[in-house]
Amino acid sequence: MDLPGPIHDFLLVFGGLGLILGGLGVVLLTNPIFSAFSLGLVLVCTSLFHIPSNSPFVAAAQLLIYVGAINVLIVFAVMFINGSEYYKDFHLWTVGDGVTSLVCTSIFVSLITPILDTSWYGILWTTRSNQIIEQDLINNGQQIGIHLSTDFFLPFELISIILLVSLIGAIAMARQY
Amino acid sequence: MMLEYVLVLSAYLLSIGIYGLITSRNMVRALMCLELILNAVNINFVTFSDLFDSRQLKGDVFSIFVIAIAAAEAAIGLAIVSSIHRNRKSTRINQSNLLNK
Repeated sequence: MDLPGPIHDFLLVFGGLGLILGGLGVVLLTNPIFSAFSLGLVLVCTSLFHIPSNSPFVAAAQLLIYVGAINVLIVFAVMFINGSEYYKDFHLWTVGDGVTSLVCTSIFVSLITPILDTSWYGILWTTRSNQIIEQDLINNGQQIGIHLSTDFFLPFELISIILLVSLIGAIAMARQY
Repeated sequence: MMLEYVLVLSAYLLSIGIYGLITSRNMVRALMCLELILNAVNINFVTFSDLFDSRQLKGDVFSIFVIAIAAAEAAIGLAIVSSIHRNRKSTRINQSNLLNK
């Protein structure tokens, strides 16, 4: 998708800020309802990231399913479960938290060193020279639909059966008393 | 430049999701951190399918599958949490010993 330059930069910067602040908010806020709302912020910013990388269908699906279904479900679960126990949850900085933050920081550093070291554009030009440059006759959603109905047909059916079975199981588990 | 930026943000999201998944004491917050990890996976799928596979876009199909699995996982997880809460009146992770008796 050929977005104009300022809109592209605005989407990237705003989405990055939202991801960083929302990710910190999910983990560090003490009240679970606030962390559920900042999870919603993270999901919206993720769908903003999908728009500049030429995937408007995945962005729309992310916005509809994650924000519209999963986040609403999580907010309802927090409201249903969260009595008055969150303020008894003293947020002590234990030794385990320190060790875990050290481990996660080392995971982060060891992930971003190969990202920054790799020359991605060399790989990009070698792969792109193999592909035939052709006119975009079909758009993104049509291409995903063609893939889902031809060569990803069996995984698509399996996913739908898994979703049906898990939703029936969730209802059966939540209503028995 | 954009590729490194997006990949670093996705690595940040993955590591903070792992941190929250390990250290959170509330089960619902652990599920939220699981969603963060799945979102990091989604960002990587979509970015790489745009840059390296822009003719076929198979990464987008995989991200659709990941979204569907995340929906199933959230439904099952929250049903389990509400069932535990009904039996135990608490959703603390370190106090749940239902398999213990």
